[in-house]
Amino acid sequence: MRTYLSLAVLAAFALTAPAFAAGKSPAAGKTLKVGVIADVTGGAGVYGTPQKNAYELAGEDIKSGLIDTGGVLLTFDVQDAASDGNQVATLMQKFITDGSAVVLGPTLSGEAKKADPIAVKANFPVVGTSTTADGITSLGPCVYRVALSEAQVIPTTVKKTQASWKYKTAAIIYGDDNAFTKTNGDIFKEQLENAVVQIVATETFHQKDVDFQAQLTKIKEKKPDVIVIGALAPEGVKIIAQARKLGYTGHLMGGNGLNSPTIYNDAGPGAAGTAVGAGWYIGANYTGNKAFVARYKKRFGGDPDQFAAQAYAGAEVIAAVAKRGATTPAEICSGLKTLPLAQTVLGPIGFDVNRDVKSAPVILQIIKGGFAYFK
Amino acid sequence: MLVQQLVNGLVVGSVYALFAVGYTLVFGVLDILNLAHAAIFMVAAFTTYALVSVGVPLWLAFIGGCALAGVVGIALDRVAFAPLRKRNAGTLIPLISSIGVSIIIGAIARGIWGIDEKHFPVALGDAPPIHLGGITVTAVELVTFGAAIALMLGLSYVLRATALGRNIRAVAEDRIAAVLLGVDLEKTIVMTFFIASALGGAAGILTGLQYNSVTVDMGAGIELKGLAVIILGGMGSITGAVVGGFILGAVETLSVAYISSNWRDAIAFGVMFLILVVRPRGLFGKRALRAA
Amino acid sequence: MISFFTSHSKLFDQLAINALLALSLSVCLQAGQLALAQAAFMGIAAYISAILATQAGLPLVPCIVLGALGSTLAAMLLALPVRGLRGVFLAIATIGFGEILRIVANNLHITGGGEGLSQIPADANTFAIYGALIVVGLGLFGLSKTKFALAIALTREDETAARGVGVDTAGVRFWTLALGGTIAGIAGVLYAHSNFFITPADFGFGRMEQILVACVIGGSTSAVGAVVGSIVLTLLPETIRFLADYREVTNGAILLAVVLFAPQGIAGLWQRERRK
Repeated sequence: MRTYLSLAVLAAFALTAPAFAAGKSPAAGKTLKVGVIADVTGGAGVYGTPQKNAYELAGEDIKSGLIDTGGVLLTFDVQDAASDGNQVATLMQKFITDGSAVVLGPTLSGEAKKADPIAVKANFPVVGTSTTADGITSLGPCVYRVALSEAQVIPTTVKKTQASWKYKTAAIIYGDDNAFTKTNGDIFKEQLENAVVQIVATETFHQKDVDFQAQLTKIKEKKPDVIVIGALAPEGVKIIAQARKLGYTGHLMGGNGLNSPTIYNDAGPGAAGTAVGAGWYIGANYTGNKAFVARYKKRFGGDPDQFAAQAYAGAEVIAAVAKRGATTPAEICSGLKTLPLAQTVLGPIGFDVNRDVKSAPVILQIIKGGFAYFK
Repeated sequence: MLVQQLVNGLVVGSVYALFAVGYTLVFGVLDILNLAHAAIFMVAAFTTYALVSVGVPLWLAFIGGCALAGVVGIALDRVAFAPLRKRNAGTLIPLISSIGVSIIIGAIARGIWGIDEKHFPVALGDAPPIHLGGITVTAVELVTFGAAIALMLGLSYVLRATALGRNIRAVAEDRIAAVLLGVDLEKTIVMTFFIASALGGAAGILTGLQYNSVTVDMGAGIELKGLAVIILGGMGSITGAVVGGFILGAVETLSVAYISSNWRDAIAFGVMFLILVVRPRGLFGKRALRAA
Repeated sequence: MISFFTSHSKLFDQLAINALLALSLSVCLQAGQLALAQAAFMGIAAYISAILATQAGLPLVPCIVLGALGSTLAAMLLALPVRGLRGVFLAIATIGFGEILRIVANNLHITGGGEGLSQIPADANTFAIYGALIVVGLGLFGLSKTKFALAIALTREDETAARGVGVDTAGVRFWTLALGGTIAGIAGVLYAHSNFFITPADFGFGRMEQILVACVIGGSTSAVGAVVGSIVLTLLPETIRFLADYREVTNGAILLAVVLFAPQGIAGLWQRERRK
């Protein structure tokens, strides 16, 4: 699969090389202000802060030429919505009317469902970098997303793990009060049922919970071959640690939420072998990815996580569109539509007819020190 | 499975109990619901984490964290409650005041330590779990349970056998009579806050160690559960907070085990609501709750 | 001027909705009832109207009526079991009620569970929202001129004495809670129809805390105070946005300062100035 993708990338490069060689955008010299809505503080601050960091880094990389905008002056106005739906809406309105050309964000799927319709009404483009629940890109013809949705990743996750582990029974534990984790849980359930796997237990938890032993004890009793974890990193880490601690020896797997660089350290050795269906691999060889990781680590003191990578990719996509001459909201909207491929830290990405990202999901496995490709 | 679930419930319950004791102590003495208690819970955990990261041995860092929590509690009283006491401001205003302080503490903690989850470098969590006849328990859980019991017994001793304890009980019983009988009101209140906050801080440190996670919003979940515990146990009753904590831990765990994890919190709050409607003074409360 | 308005219309909408919410709590506080279930009433009405609008295509006004009816009924049902509770105990019971409702909404299929309800028609424009606020405001103003308003004030001051002079304090408590439910319900429907999407988390303890803080810093014993407080609280995050990292701590500090130095709230400060 990966070989074909690489060939496709090379072919695309070869064909479009002349255009890239030219270097200057038709809009060179113009300014493009990008509005960023991120939850830097508040309940979702763990996700919004890496995003803010990524945009800071992107801003510097644009100035130093590492991200090529073809001479367009790209700036990021990062505003904190404090995980408050009202502030997200106010910020969206502000960016629509203050001369910004596009909005990157917001951080949470629920916030996007509240604020994107405002942009849709004003024909203003929005690119989500972390909003992976159902029903986001369908909000309007200018709502795009660079983050692979759960619906795009999970089928591959189930297929690959089933081929290798050949499990017959599964238990699912997922967060029922968060659009992302709930979608996670629902889609895993659907895919497992399609693969004729018997689901022996379904348990739920809430955001910010720390103790999952009651649910895990119940699950352990049913002896599933694999436990599916529909959670974000903070809860996911504890679920893995507590499941192993309680003596569960079967397989573990989860979605995007578990794609955190510190997961092995935080969850302990019992996390090794967990399968994670993700949209980004920290060790991938895509153009600029390893360099991005190194620069991020040097600048912020720790490895970037998937939120940071996807945010950075969002910036790269806007740069690519700007290089092709788009600087107004209408131009960006159509620019995204006609963008062939953008080279990002997530790999080469484009958008499909539903404005979802076209990119290959990568199934990873937790190992000591981080991740490796799933075998 | 039942025994394992009961063990799970006892561990969860011991932290609830420790947290609730601080809550109920302040309420019993001052009639104030201190919504900054959860922020103190968090700050103590961060302090201990910070000390451990620079090499301080765990037991010392634990004491340091509790002591800092106690000091923050005193500061909280001096800044947010004492001025209102002089004004006879009722029960609502101090509540809001405590919310304000809680926001400030949270913001300062975020400023110092950032938004990431912190983990203890100590190998306490690495010790292999102990398997006794079908149930699994870890060293950390045993320590948590033991420490919580020890601290609550310690408090009980202080309240029963020391002069300070007598004064606290006197003020809780009848503030005016206590003053008339010569109790130094302000000093007693200050000490009450120190003790209550130190205990709340201890709950926070133990929680941080137990789940190996210290975050700025780690107090959010326990804040409301603490309310349920003190209602169940009876406002102002230490015994009630302890018993209530364990009962709530058991009820929650068993409801997950035998009903459904979806409804766990609803059941916890449902029990609380039921108690308020049927027997508002809870299991051990003495105060008259109903209108005259 | 007009462009300032249109580019900030969301903020103006939020101002009015928050004012309605603060008023719904103020009505209870004026009767001395620390009933903290307004966020839950808001949620009940929001969900009723969202379900009706998305599944039955009902337009805004019937949605408001039915939603507010639902929240009022809920308030009346709540009033019964908690009628003997006072002070902090009433507060905790009502908070508990709110949490239970939030979890129920999380678990039911018809409410969309944790994923919430989306694609609620955006038919609550600024005029509708302010229209509702004005209607409620006029209604409360009219209420303040009646004997019932006197009964409310007496009940707050001293419940026992009030009963002594023949005030039906139980009725006061029941009807103020019901009225709080109605107003919160109206706000809830308007919130749903101007936000396109609702989840149970929108109506939890965090929201309730915001409403409570708004009332108290504005002045907990008057409707004017409630409105003033909600204006301050809604505008605060935007006006201090330039403080960036220091916004959160400033929030807390301002709250604390108002509570410590302006015990009657901001409206109370202004009244004190007037009397000088």
